[in-house]
Amino acid sequence: MSIIIISSDAMEIEETIAEKVAEAMGYSRLGHQILADVAAKYQIDPVKLNEAMETTPSLFKNLSARQWRHYLACVEAEVYDYLLADNIVCWGLAAHLYVTGISHVMKVRVLSGNSRGTMEIAEQKGISLQVVEKLRAGELQQRKKWSLAAYNYDETDLSRYDLVINLDQIDPEEAVKTITGAIEYRKFQVMTYSMKCLSNLALSARVNVTLLKSMADINVQARDGSVVVSTKASARQKRKKIATIKELAGNVDGVSYVEVHVKKNILEETA
Amino acid sequence: MTKLLEVLLLDDEPIVGRRLKPALDKIGCRVEVFENPKEAVARIDKKEFDIVVTDIRMEEMDGIQVLEHVQKKWPRTKVIIITGYAKMDLAREAMGKGVFDFIAKPFRPDDLRRIIANAAEALGSPIDFSSINNEPAE
Repeated sequence: MSIIIISSDAMEIEETIAEKVAEAMGYSRLGHQILADVAAKYQIDPVKLNEAMETTPSLFKNLSARQWRHYLACVEAEVYDYLLADNIVCWGLAAHLYVTGISHVMKVRVLSGNSRGTMEIAEQKGISLQVVEKLRAGELQQRKKWSLAAYNYDETDLSRYDLVINLDQIDPEEAVKTITGAIEYRKFQVMTYSMKCLSNLALSARVNVTLLKSMADINVQARDGSVVVSTKASARQKRKKIATIKELAGNVDGVSYVEVHVKKNILEETA
Repeated sequence: MTKLLEVLLLDDEPIVGRRLKPALDKIGCRVEVFENPKEAVARIDKKEFDIVVTDIRMEEMDGIQVLEHVQKKWPRTKVIIITGYAKMDLAREAMGKGVFDFIAKPFRPDDLRRIIANAAEALGSPIDFSSINNEPAE
């Protein structure tokens, strides 16, 4: 009863390894394919949602910071709902960046390697090694920028993972065996505490997505149905914002109590 | 008549024992409460409990040491950790060392009773858990 989240510096390799691990363990798969469902559920343009998962907000791309945050929150809320079911291999949804502090979640980073990984991608795409290396360096830089902007978390920081596998040294088949062996450790087994933490994060995500639809600057923390929302507002808007948050958050399934903490929004007050 | 489940409850906060003992009595447990880990360990040396519920942060001896002592003396006994300082690393450490379950304080008595019921089932002595009502958080 555990969850495996796999990320890699090469998307193709991430998916291949994740699929093989899911097959070997008999676990459910949770990949980027759910983005279409997320778009339909939250009535978002699927193209824009995919774009939000890869790029940071920009005027040129017609993606505002608020829209971007809301799109990411939609994905998070959906991912958490799936993860509550347990026995899942997850990839391609940036879950390694926001699913934190859950002891039965094992995070794996697969490094595609400098030689073999690059060669495989060159063969698959029919391009030269040099071009692949250049493309990968650019992609890595972009992912690092995105992960820091979205979750203040550098996804290339290997100390954040439970297991790191370098495909230059370990064959993909051995990598799958290593992952399926490691998840059997008692440390990654589900317990009352870890399930509670996951339920709390799932509830926070559901409230977050509800609030971000109509407002920005929101931080949500949930515990056993009680929700604390921190936000900013001018003195003029404070009362109205608290009432709106209490109403919206209070209607989310699983919420029994809402507390709102408001900090002064100096920018709005001076405007 | 079904055999009572022998439970040792160790927490250096007296209120925890006072609140949890009656809650566990209701589901067919015979509970001995301790606030001092050394006294609890001395009792464990003399008696095989089915379940040991222990806090983790205590003076003189922590919950992990209690766990190790229980495992050495009575391998069949299930150990459950309750703590107000729950963190992922601590939870993993405890799980890796073989605790049956780990729960963060505050919790409802019902949460612990569910874990006790699971432990009883794992021990092959299932208890009737159907008549339990929700009670406020511990």
